[in-house]
Amino acid sequence: MAKGIIFDIKEFTIQDGPGIRITVFFKGCSLRCQWCHNPEGLSFEPELMVRESSCIHCGKCRIGCGHAECKSFSRCLKICPLGLVKAVGAGFDSSELAVKLKMYQDFIKINQGGITLSGGEPLAQPEFLIDLLRELKPLHTAVETSGYSSQQLFRQVAELADLILFDIKHTNPQVHRQYTGVDNEPILKNLDLLIKMGKKFIARVPLIPGVNDSAENMENTAILLRNASGLERVELMPYNLFAGAKYTVVGKKYAPSFNEKAEVCIFKEVFEKHDIKCSVL
Amino acid sequence: MKQRIKDLLDYYIVTKKHHQFRQDIKLEMAGEFARMELSPMARASERLMRVLDAEKPIMLVGEKIVGQRTIKKVPDIFTNTEWDEIKRKHYIHESGNVCNINPDYISTIKVGLEERKREAQKRLEKCNASCDCEKIEFLRSVIYVIDSVLGFAHKYYEEALRQDNIELAEILHQVPRYGARTFHEALQSFRILHFALWCEGDYHNTIGRFDQYMYPYLKADLEEGRLNYDAAFDLLEEFFISFNKDSDLYPGVQQGDNGQSLVLGGINSVGDDIFNLLSEMCLKASKELKLIDPKINLRVHKNTTMDVYELGTELTKEGLGFPQYSNDDQVIRGLLDKGYDLQDARNYVVAACWEFIVPGYGMDIPNIGSLSFPKVIDKCLHENLSDCEEFDLFMNCVRQQIKKECDDIAGGIKNLWMIPAPFISILMSGCIENAKDISMGAKYNNFGIHGTGLATAADSLAVIRKYVSEEKTLEPEQLIRAVDNDFEGFDELYAKLRYQAPKMGNDDDYVDSIGVKLLNAFAEALSNRKNERGGCYRAGTGSAMYYLWQADEIGASADGRKRGEAFGANYSPSLFAKLKGPISVIKSFVKPNITEAINGGPLTMEFHNSLFRDEESQSKVAMLVKSFIDLGGHQLQLNAVNREILFEAQKCPENYRNLIVRIWGWSAYFIELDKEYQDHVIKRQEYTV
Repeated sequence: MAKGIIFDIKEFTIQDGPGIRITVFFKGCSLRCQWCHNPEGLSFEPELMVRESSCIHCGKCRIGCGHAECKSFSRCLKICPLGLVKAVGAGFDSSELAVKLKMYQDFIKINQGGITLSGGEPLAQPEFLIDLLRELKPLHTAVETSGYSSQQLFRQVAELADLILFDIKHTNPQVHRQYTGVDNEPILKNLDLLIKMGKKFIARVPLIPGVNDSAENMENTAILLRNASGLERVELMPYNLFAGAKYTVVGKKYAPSFNEKAEVCIFKEVFEKHDIKCSVL
Repeated sequence: MKQRIKDLLDYYIVTKKHHQFRQDIKLEMAGEFARMELSPMARASERLMRVLDAEKPIMLVGEKIVGQRTIKKVPDIFTNTEWDEIKRKHYIHESGNVCNINPDYISTIKVGLEERKREAQKRLEKCNASCDCEKIEFLRSVIYVIDSVLGFAHKYYEEALRQDNIELAEILHQVPRYGARTFHEALQSFRILHFALWCEGDYHNTIGRFDQYMYPYLKADLEEGRLNYDAAFDLLEEFFISFNKDSDLYPGVQQGDNGQSLVLGGINSVGDDIFNLLSEMCLKASKELKLIDPKINLRVHKNTTMDVYELGTELTKEGLGFPQYSNDDQVIRGLLDKGYDLQDARNYVVAACWEFIVPGYGMDIPNIGSLSFPKVIDKCLHENLSDCEEFDLFMNCVRQQIKKECDDIAGGIKNLWMIPAPFISILMSGCIENAKDISMGAKYNNFGIHGTGLATAADSLAVIRKYVSEEKTLEPEQLIRAVDNDFEGFDELYAKLRYQAPKMGNDDDYVDSIGVKLLNAFAEALSNRKNERGGCYRAGTGSAMYYLWQADEIGASADGRKRGEAFGANYSPSLFAKLKGPISVIKSFVKPNITEAINGGPLTMEFHNSLFRDEESQSKVAMLVKSFIDLGGHQLQLNAVNREILFEAQKCPENYRNLIVRIWGWSAYFIELDKEYQDHVIKRQEYTV
């Protein structure tokens, strides 16, 4: 019955596992990938989201309101005439959230779908994640993760979930640290563990131009994954110029050090050469 | 696509070169008819004769299915004075012509107009004996209009000879005078019959279960080697193009609203599913041609397999707003409850937009009126809430007001009269047999009433329930003042009602149950009520253009909607509701008892076109559609959109001439729409990945 914080529940997510799914986005992550397109998923605390691009500058939200819910924020959440101001990050009990998600079960059943836990980083809220995975049974669950955690935790999660979507951002530890802020050693250890467990998984590689889209990195990634019996496929996700779209909304600046506009190299054949199914999203 | 089809598309759709053949003459006959004091029946048949007589045969080299309008306007048969007099004495629906109807084309295609003429003549002999003037006049008119249509066809026959097009000449010699013998002849016969309907003044002339009634011709040709698949597909594509040649001349609220609905699949009169090769070919032809006509409807049911939904989704991906899905399980049950015979209910088709009608036997008027749910709430808010703060009491006031509105709508329909239509009567079962024009009624004479703004009304009632009745944080007077002032000076209340109050479409029983009650009240208010032709009233969930028109009847509403804002189209959430997603929308909108309100009116959903980018995604959209049907949804109009493109099209229409969007039951070229319709499409919820 652990507590946790999430920032969104999205219906009908089509790239998060089999069938028709609902994806829960955990709030908070220890990585700081320069290309992250969910900036509201980085911090573990509730924060303000303001859709500045549609703002008409009426100024009503800046006037002191006295509402308890608005106290910790710099704007009033309850007055915007266009509904542009909200707090993102809702606290839940795992059982409360499970009940809410199970309301989709009739739909999920007839479509062989399930619930995907993503974020942010689900592993960063271990008790919440594990309780939730337990309480969601018998619904199909998938966990979308960077794999950054202790092996003990990772094993537990991998045992409970039906499918893992595992991100492999870079095989080189220095480059990995440079662009994500963390070492990839724990991640690669968990990948190895996942493979040894024979668990069903999908490997995800976000293709960031000039960062990880080299043939060499793809080859190294393929080598890690070949002969993994549980691997369903590799999904290559070419960088999307909309990645930075939500930053201003949470009052942050999107400033990646790589060239956003450079064309991404897609080495699908590198994986196919190793008999690994590969799709480009 | 064959080159010749590409050429036809270019000619008729892109460059519209055929417009050059349209005659610059203006046919006028009302004055003359008035002076001669001709009866309405005589005027109707004389008009058809003269329009067809004035028509010039235009045939392109290489065309295989011919017929196109050169007379731009079908003239009035009554002078303004006469028409005013008629309107004073009668209830006239829209322009007064027969419309929203599905003729039984195939019975006449099979035997030919000559045979129908013989039938009429025989029947006339019987009448002459008993001297029933009305019947005699009708049958004489039937014979007269058959001759005019045959004369029209003969002009094309001669033109074919002149152009040395022996194949076409032979076809035009055969049809529509005699029975069609091949698929090609059947299509050509259809074209001429359908053409004549518009010339008679009838409109929203639907196509119906084309894949069912035309299939025997196709099957025989394929089996006997007269056609192979490719040749048949080629003919079908040209046939589809023909629906777009004259449609700019047809009546409708906006360009595209012309009722040329084609219905595929579904069960037949004995309960077997009939989705066949021709059904599949129609889906493929529509996908390849990307035209707004014919409007593709797909009938499905609990036994429809995924591959049919996947074929449908492939078509949805093209962004035409096709197919519109109808659920046999719900519709047939609903129609049976309304007194339709089993065979007829099973054969249902879709009218101009989405109303359910019956081929051959139906002279239903499925759009004779519209109930604005928000208007009911607005009245009760102002007149009753102060005395009825307790929600159940207030709901009773709402129910009573719904009943009163229905009484008013029904009570206002007295002495319905329609302009006689002898030609379409030939194609409607029993008219010649009974010597009775279709405008006088048929086996089914039911009326349909739309139900506009259901979600807006449910949301408004939820506000009243929550804040006025239960939490008591809002006084009735406060709410009334806020609404009357268009929320000026009520900033916090406005934000609360608009963005925080419960909304229908989020699978929230608190407000969804109110939606259920509203639709029940509407259905009940119309039940046990007969119209003057002995037909019943059918409550519906459609809105047609009333989502704009009726929205202007009231000011702001309790759900936080401001004055001037439109309602959602048909059966869908309010435009500004913050929605969880398509699954919740579906779950909300399958809760109401739809079989009791079966006039028609689809759940309207739009998906961002990125959802269709690959096979797996498409397959999931197909699953979603199937889920909607399996969970009891009755009708769905679904489209692939891209809001950014719509904005661009508003700025630079010249670059988006072929951009098609779904409106309220038909599809249109976006740039041809009036801005308010464009804006409404843009405002609709778009579900993204």
